[in-house]
Amino acid sequence: MKTSRLSTALLIAYGIAILGFLYLPLVSVGLASISKARYLSFPIRKYAFGWYEDALTSDTVRDLLVISLKVAGVVTVASMVIGFFGALAFARYNWRFRKTYQKLILLPIFFPQTVLGLALLMWFNALGVVPSWKTAIIAHLVWIAPIATLVVSIRAFSFDAALEEAARDMGANQWQTLREVTIPLLMPGVTSAGLFAFLLSWGNFPLSLFSTGADSTLPEWLFAKMVSGYSPLVPTVGMLTVATSAVLVFGGLILAWAIRRLRPES
Amino acid sequence: MTDSSPPILRINALTKTFDDFTALHGINLNVRDGEFLAIVGPSGSGKTTLIRILVGMDEPSDGAVWLRGTRIDVVPANKRPTCMVFQSLALFPHRSVGQNIEFPLKLRGVAPAERKARALELLDTLRLPRDYYSKRIQQCSGGEKQRVALARALAFDPEILFFDEPLSALDYRLRKTLEKELKDLHRRTGKTFIYITHSLEEAMVMSDRIAIMKAGRFEQIAPAEEIYARPVSKFVAEFMGEVNFFDLVKGAAPGVALSAAASAALAGQTGTLTIRPESLRKLTAEGVADLSFEGIVTAEYLLGSRIQYRMTLATGQEMIVEVLRENAVEGGIGAALRVGCDLSAAHLIAEAADAAA
Ligand SMILES: Nc1ncnc2c1ncn2[C@@H]1O[C@H](COP(=O)(O)OP(=O)(O)OP(=O)(O)O)[C@@H](O)[C@H]1O
Ligand SMILES: [Mg+2]
Repeated sequence: MKTSRLSTALLIAYGIAILGFLYLPLVSVGLASISKARYLSFPIRKYAFGWYEDALTSDTVRDLLVISLKVAGVVTVASMVIGFFGALAFARYNWRFRKTYQKLILLPIFFPQTVLGLALLMWFNALGVVPSWKTAIIAHLVWIAPIATLVVSIRAFSFDAALEEAARDMGANQWQTLREVTIPLLMPGVTSAGLFAFLLSWGNFPLSLFSTGADSTLPEWLFAKMVSGYSPLVPTVGMLTVATSAVLVFGGLILAWAIRRLRPES
Repeated sequence: MTDSSPPILRINALTKTFDDFTALHGINLNVRDGEFLAIVGPSGSGKTTLIRILVGMDEPSDGAVWLRGTRIDVVPANKRPTCMVFQSLALFPHRSVGQNIEFPLKLRGVAPAERKARALELLDTLRLPRDYYSKRIQQCSGGEKQRVALARALAFDPEILFFDEPLSALDYRLRKTLEKELKDLHRRTGKTFIYITHSLEEAMVMSDRIAIMKAGRFEQIAPAEEIYARPVSKFVAEFMGEVNFFDLVKGAAPGVALSAAASAALAGQTGTLTIRPESLRKLTAEGVADLSFEGIVTAEYLLGSRIQYRMTLATGQEMIVEVLRENAVEGGIGAALRVGCDLSAAHLIAEAADAAA
């Protein structure tokens, strides 16, 4: 079917409008981060990159970065492991309470994160645990691990159970089947789950707000500074946060692509 | 079976129940060493269930299986010297052709160089070019994948090779080619093959014996010619191709004119007379035969060198007749037709046999 010139033009205009709507806010933050003025105002009169220098040398920012990275890093690794085994239970193996498990595991995703955060904070208090970045890891995992499980499950559902049976039939024990067939086939799913987990943890605000205690992650700090004590350091750090996510996503994609290219030889 | 050598596989009273449904009802079977046994039967008759139990992917509810005198139904799948070629082939998509073939050898700890040598040898055996060794599975055609799956199974070097409808996804011509290759491979390797198929034709081309399965039981296990000529039940007779049935009650069969000799032979017997369309011959008005039939032709179909007629007898029963082209009925549809056959061409299924099925 051929579309008329007019409808093509309309479609393009529509696409640009959507992209503009989605990305202009980000551009304005980007512009704010290189404005020389102390207050957020448009149009920007003078540009300066000094705030980036400040951000990169600031101890506060370094601490924030370290905490955010620690939390997101641990959450990523834990989500990949939990997601892998969770998906096996979710999608591969038939066991008695599988249906119940499939429903239970989805439950945290349906809770508003603020409610979940509050509930966890109360729970930590009840247990006498002092909230810190470590409790934040638990809080993030409650919400993110189920998502990781779902991401890996999609992959697990799509592969033929006969592959594992064939391996077993040809003499592979449980561990060999896992190593030779299950893990390599689920790996793309686990990688995507890891990326998702990092991004969700890295950018998470509501759960961190309730669960970090005296520690602070980057999104928390951004919010606090917006409420009181704004400086152009805020959009600068915001842009650095986005840049980190972007680098990670593209790095992940390139890595996955490279692995796929190299595989036939291994 | 008159063969005195002990069977390679012995199945004894094998039963499988799923919740309240019984898929296998106390199956018994002996398979000879080096035999090519085909298992045929309609969908849902329990063929896959049986084979999955034999290779160890499912557990029987009751009964036992022996391989060369060792009880194997209690042995886990990965410790059994059997191997199965799946309908989906189950080739590992993340491994190359060579790695797929070497898989069972790798598990056994065979050195890489030796593995590769064996894989290349198997590529030759299956008539695949050697440079397929480093090809990816996704780059292979359906028939090539089939051969890779076979090569992998042969690399495992099983005592018995099982197949679950491995050719059903392929087009007709390729299927025919692979049928012959499989038969060839069977002859060259001397291994025992147990082969499930929907297609009777496939079973007839390849197998030494055919086991016909119906609703979780074997109806008949015998060489193809025997099943064809002497089916034990109407089900088997129909399964083997088009056939005419005539009820015989105490020596009399409505619609069938019996000669004196035939009358004497069938006297007092009750059951079902089965007559294949192609064992009938055209009779002239005075022609004689042990069994003869008269009717009006209602339809004709050209089948290459043969012609098939449908005719309606005086009793109202429909009958199928197949003759060579040179014996075509003059007048075609609407003409009167008289056909007959020898008593030896009419197989009697005794009452009891069919009732038990
Ligand atoms: N896991 C199961 N749970 C319940 N019923 C089952 C199960 N597996 C098989 N069955 C039933 O057992 C019967 C035999 O199934 P099976 O797959 O062995 O048939 P089949 O002869 O291989 O058929 P087809 O030619 O269609 O492959 C079927 O009625 C099927 O519904
Ligand atoms: Mg089947």
